[in-house]
Amino acid sequence: MSATVKPATQTIALFALLTGALFAPMRAFAHASEQAFVLLLPTKVYITSGVLAVALTIVVLALAPQTMSHGLLRAKRLFSKNPQSHSALTMADITSIVTTLLLAWLIWTGLTGSHDPLKNPLPLFIWTLWWIGFVVIQGIVGNLWRWLNPWTGLYRLCTSFKDNPHRVALPAWLGHWPAVIVLLLFMVFALADIAPDSPTRLSIIVGVYWLVIFIGMLLFGDQCLKRVEAFSVLLSFYSQLAWFGRIKNDFLTGFAGWHALANPTTTISAAVFVLVLLGTGSFDGFNETFYWLNSIGINPLEFPGRSAVVTQTVVGLLLATALLIAVYAACIYLGVTLANRQIYDQIGKPVHFRQAFCYLAIAILPIAFAYHFAHFLTAFLVNAQYALAAASDPFDTGADLLGLGTFYVTTGFMNSHHTVEAIWLTQAAAVVFGHVLSVLLAHALALDLFGSARRAIISQVPLAVFMVGYTFIGLWLLAAPRGA
Amino acid sequence: MTDKIKNPSDATGISRRTAIKTLAVGAGVVATTGTIPGLLRPNQAFSAEPIRIGFQVHRTGIGAAYGRWYDRTTEAVVKRINDEGGINGRPIEIVAEDDGTDPKRGAEVVEKFANQHKCDIAFGTLFSHVVFGSAPRAGELKIPYFVVSEGHHVASGKLNRYTLQPGITDVKSQVEAMAPFISENLGKKVTMIYPDFAFGHDHRDYFSTAFENQGGTILEKIAIPPTETSFTKYFPKIPRDTEVIYHVMVGPAVLTFVKELGEFFGPSRPEIFGFIDSLEAVDMASPGLEFLDGTYFWEGNPRYAQADQTEFDKAYREAVGVDANGASISDSKDVSTYAHMFGCWETLYVVKAGMEASGYKGPEDRQKLIEAVESMSEMPHSFEHPQGAKLFNGKTHQAFGHQYISKVEDSKLVLAHTTSIEDTLYEDEVDYTKQAF
Repeated sequence: MSATVKPATQTIALFALLTGALFAPMRAFAHASEQAFVLLLPTKVYITSGVLAVALTIVVLALAPQTMSHGLLRAKRLFSKNPQSHSALTMADITSIVTTLLLAWLIWTGLTGSHDPLKNPLPLFIWTLWWIGFVVIQGIVGNLWRWLNPWTGLYRLCTSFKDNPHRVALPAWLGHWPAVIVLLLFMVFALADIAPDSPTRLSIIVGVYWLVIFIGMLLFGDQCLKRVEAFSVLLSFYSQLAWFGRIKNDFLTGFAGWHALANPTTTISAAVFVLVLLGTGSFDGFNETFYWLNSIGINPLEFPGRSAVVTQTVVGLLLATALLIAVYAACIYLGVTLANRQIYDQIGKPVHFRQAFCYLAIAILPIAFAYHFAHFLTAFLVNAQYALAAASDPFDTGADLLGLGTFYVTTGFMNSHHTVEAIWLTQAAAVVFGHVLSVLLAHALALDLFGSARRAIISQVPLAVFMVGYTFIGLWLLAAPRGA
Repeated sequence: MTDKIKNPSDATGISRRTAIKTLAVGAGVVATTGTIPGLLRPNQAFSAEPIRIGFQVHRTGIGAAYGRWYDRTTEAVVKRINDEGGINGRPIEIVAEDDGTDPKRGAEVVEKFANQHKCDIAFGTLFSHVVFGSAPRAGELKIPYFVVSEGHHVASGKLNRYTLQPGITDVKSQVEAMAPFISENLGKKVTMIYPDFAFGHDHRDYFSTAFENQGGTILEKIAIPPTETSFTKYFPKIPRDTEVIYHVMVGPAVLTFVKELGEFFGPSRPEIFGFIDSLEAVDMASPGLEFLDGTYFWEGNPRYAQADQTEFDKAYREAVGVDANGASISDSKDVSTYAHMFGCWETLYVVKAGMEASGYKGPEDRQKLIEAVESMSEMPHSFEHPQGAKLFNGKTHQAFGHQYISKVEDSKLVLAHTTSIEDTLYEDEVDYTKQAF
């Protein structure tokens, strides 16, 4: 990065603020030297290439035959399965109950084990294996959460496997709004709390959350999981990007995103949930950049700690999310307005803003997912080692259940030019791929929504500009110097 | 003022008589406790309650990279002490809590050590702002707080009687001790390049005063804004008659700084002197650092095993799992924070000596422990103090010790000079022993 870059980076960062497009790694797990190597990489060339790749995808799709995007996102049926009786214990119930027991054990070790968050299994399991690892696997493979969530098995056991035993209906008007609020609260906890990794604190929060959701399920049935429990909603969304999926009794496979095309969002609250995912995920990391720290009056080389910036973090998180929603809404509004002007002689029906806002939101999902992967990759590479060590010595008693011997966690791969470059390019490739997939998905959804290729393409112009800009910002954020 | 001693083991500045006296005290402790170092295994020997040491560690936040090595060093020294029979026949039990490199959380953690975990002492903090945030709470709760911070805050008198720094020297003494070597060996006309905030200002103020006292001149003080990531535009400010550049850049742009400095000067450069803080845990063979060949660095503890490596350094390296290049034995790219982490090792040995000298039994003896440490003075170069001999000032609660100046040769740091302890001393700024407990 040379002196000539600075004005450009400031402009980009300003654009990031204006569009609410913000992102990168969470707590500073990353070694200080990693960014030093990143700053020596030719990131300007990489960023330009990535942005061009997304822009080119848009041009190709606009010129390609109308059937191309649907063709790419068409699923193949692997096999069908007769509907299973839900009135008895299923394998998914058993695996879910095993997960419940595992969670109970983790909470117990969180309360009674080591106070060190990198030695206690609970924070390592929750933040590293589950929040990073499992979420990514779910988004690539398919809906494993159906088998591994810690509620459904016990809930069905408690309700004698009845299909619809709940007494109170969750009001329809609530939509997914409870899940939106839970997601926001979770992100506030993850980014602004001064000790989200503390085993004791996390045990209490996880335990109380599990209990509240379980009581919610007893009251409202599985609607609680589908509309309140933010992680089930999140994982359900991400599973729609996976290569494998199930629609009714058919098990299908297809290119990433096929399931999302078959199952677009239909409510404002579900659409907002997807946008909140991207907005909060983007802010997580932007809040570590020199630009953000400087703008809130913090010296990036002397970060005073989370407690000094709680208000700024919360306000920034909410503002970033609100701005992202606003920019998305503006793009949709402009696109719909432009497309509706193309209706001549009463041929074609006008599309309403609300309809398009909901329908196209799922196209944002691949960007959020790609950021999740890129954002946490280095943290995962380090903390998965701690998780392995903790699995071998869960109570920090010096045990070596896995026979690891003398085991030292290393961050050496963040301390070498070649490995840092490989990691950076992997992150950048994920971000670019996420945007390409978003463009593809948005194009296919627009074709379905507007009915004609011409109107679909015109409607996509503002969103396409947004996605190119977001690619730019995402890659810039990967390359930006960080100080917190 | 300076002595040109190359062998750290010869550089103690402590008389043989004193060393024997100290060893005799150690032997007396062994005799009274009935333990013979090296003969006891931890799990078979201890029936007594452990000494609980609250380890305030930077697990997350900006200090995490240091925290990982502080943790590793602490585990190694605790194992060694326990293998040797523990403290007064009691094993050490480490209760580690993450402070998030945050002062508020730091204070909470100290409170947990005192009230919840029933720790005997708190120990381990590196980052100054966390020390500042935590020390007042330690004073209120009357729990001894042994920091490994390098900050001048302890000796400056801003903290309290319960806060001590006996295992690592402070930045003021480090910086001031560089002045004689630079003026006698590198040049009399210095240009300083430093980040424009407290850390850089400390270097600017301590060094310029000390250097001018040596008859040198500071030609220019170039302050770089902390958010800067490119430095080319600042280099033309370096006066042409500069004989030495003194740099202390830190942060993610430090490799860029070195690369651009190399591009600016090309093959003809003045002498260059820096603090290893800039490149702590960075592989000296990293691309762009070739320019540093032939330049000098302060090191708290020589990262590379020297040709005349002492048995103390050898044993310490082996225990922590660090190879001759200062990297982890399991990954040669995983470079340790060698210049700082020895402080954890040495501090816990001071705690052990203090507890044994005071006959420490439990929290009711905390004041005795502090008084015992305050009464310490000379700490000889030994397995307990592998970085070198120390002189502890009980009034200021601060240890003073040798500083190392290394020259980069073929991408390795080769020890060029060891300062005397006298070079590092300055006037007392506080007398904590006069403060009530």
